[in-house]
Amino acid sequence: MARPVRRGGYGWLIAPAVGVLLVFFAYPVFWLLLRSATDPHWGMQNFVTVFERPVYLRVLWNTVAISGMTTLFCLLIGYPLAYTMANSSERVRRLLVFVVLIPFWTSLLVRTFAWMVLLQKQGLINEVLVGIGLLERPVALIYNRLGVLVGMVQILLPFMVFPLYAVLIRIDGSFTAAAATLGATPVRNFVRVYLPLSLPGVLTGSTLVFIISLGYFITPALLGGAGDLMIAQMIERQIAHFGNWGLAGALAVLLLVLTVLLLAAMHRLVGVRTVWER
Amino acid sequence: MTRKITSTEALAGLIARRGLSRRRFLAAGGSVAAAGLLSGPRGALAAGEFDGKTIVFASWGGSYQDAQKACYCDPFSEKTGATVLQDGPMNNAKFRTMVESGEPVWDVVDVTIEFLYNGVTSDLFEKLDLSKINTDRLSPIYVHDYGIADIAWSYNIGYNTEAFKEGEHPKSWADVFDLEKFPGTRTLRDRVAPMMEIALMADGVGMNEVYDVLATDDGVERAFAKLDTIKDSTVFWETNSQSQQLFTDGEVSCGVILNGRAFDAAQKGGPVAIEWNQNIQSVDYLVIPRGSKNIEVAHGLIDEMTLAENQAKLANMIAYSPTNPDAFAMIDAEIAPWLSTSPENAEKGMLINAAFWEERLATLAEKWEAWKLS
Repeated sequence: MARPVRRGGYGWLIAPAVGVLLVFFAYPVFWLLLRSATDPHWGMQNFVTVFERPVYLRVLWNTVAISGMTTLFCLLIGYPLAYTMANSSERVRRLLVFVVLIPFWTSLLVRTFAWMVLLQKQGLINEVLVGIGLLERPVALIYNRLGVLVGMVQILLPFMVFPLYAVLIRIDGSFTAAAATLGATPVRNFVRVYLPLSLPGVLTGSTLVFIISLGYFITPALLGGAGDLMIAQMIERQIAHFGNWGLAGALAVLLLVLTVLLLAAMHRLVGVRTVWER
Repeated sequence: MTRKITSTEALAGLIARRGLSRRRFLAAGGSVAAAGLLSGPRGALAAGEFDGKTIVFASWGGSYQDAQKACYCDPFSEKTGATVLQDGPMNNAKFRTMVESGEPVWDVVDVTIEFLYNGVTSDLFEKLDLSKINTDRLSPIYVHDYGIADIAWSYNIGYNTEAFKEGEHPKSWADVFDLEKFPGTRTLRDRVAPMMEIALMADGVGMNEVYDVLATDDGVERAFAKLDTIKDSTVFWETNSQSQQLFTDGEVSCGVILNGRAFDAAQKGGPVAIEWNQNIQSVDYLVIPRGSKNIEVAHGLIDEMTLAENQAKLANMIAYSPTNPDAFAMIDAEIAPWLSTSPENAEKGMLINAAFWEERLATLAEKWEAWKLS
């Protein structure tokens, strides 16, 4: 380990950043969470509402289902991509990194609108498919679950690819080489040797994508239909349409608890530091 | 050609019978008369009267607010030197929170008639000093102690002109709910009002009985059941601009759209037209949030809005009907078919019952949310 430049006395350097976080993030979030138990009067009535009325639990289920599907598809697409990145020549690797990074740097809203233009009935995809005769009439690709998933997977893919890549690139090639000399077929080699070694990356990437999807708002709002309402949209509606801060706070608490539980589980299984170690 | 349109009398008849109670109507008329006796109509705004002052005008965004800016706010700024900032879109909860905090950011706000009634009960508005506004320019039914009506408009059956053959488009709400005869995606407003009325009309309830049926639990169930029949083929719009975009993009074949927004989209080349059968009429009011720090200037802006030439200019831009009867003479003849107050259009429609929604909006809105997810 390299020697630190100075010993001790760093506290005051991070004070401004911590200050900003406390005032503009911690305080408002805490205020909203507190309202869940104080608005309109002290008590747990908002939590009772959330668990009693079926609509809120349905939104929660929707959120978990959409996040789960997004994570699965991100994994299915991201794993091969990360594998190629980790096991190619330097040039191909750099190219692929850019391919993943550049959309990542583009504004989320711009990308969501771009998907709207692509997925509409008279959008590019439908026009091409109808034009070449694959479809008779345009298909509904947007304002439904498909639209939401397409948008979310594309936007969250980097969050799966980079943690995976970080782990894959550190896998010692000699393990698979040794397995091959011992007689393992490529498939068995992958399943019994490579995959278990890449598991920390899989878990990290999946947890990251899942947690981010739980709180997603803009993409499902713009690309989804009536039945694709997620919890963040519900919170927004409670505040913006109904002025019901207490209920919004209760929903926010629910989301926070779910996220913390997932993070704790991931830490137990994998250890958050795995991504940076070695 | 100056055909005197007596649509305001038609609408006045509708409102007096259904919307404003006689007591409030007389009260409004009475306060106008009293103000008149005390100080006479307000004189013209003095040049540079509000130099250096800034107020915030909030409305519904999109082409409507652009038109309001061009027709009310800019002339007002020119005449008086005040700066008018645009904000929005108008949002009931935001308005409420603003007033409750005691420091409203908005000074003049365009609200729907349901919110006017709701807000008066919840004490959200400043009581207007009607001596500062030339209310005698307007039809008396549009003058309220807490708000001055600026436009009359309607929810209409909108349809994609490219999706249907000539003359074979949906002509009633029942048609809009008929997926076999008129295939394609529908669009509805993502609000419980007036989708409930539309669903009941589609289910065969006559315009005169809609609110009687809706007042019962069975009626509400019936409306949701009817909505269920097209739910899977429906895209819901939140903002008016969204409704315009959906029709312009050819994303939907028919649904709900405001008359002025359909006019605007058609002007810009979109393949959209409207049907006047079973339209639902409404009125927008300009109000001042309670606690505003710029009440003088706010009154001035509202007064600017009462001028016939400003209202006519707005109608020519976006086909929303004026509340100043003198404005009708200055509206282009080709706009008349798009105006909700033209007699032939008004008689085919019904007035939204603001008193009904004042009571039931909260409960029915929750049911709407639950229904959307089911």
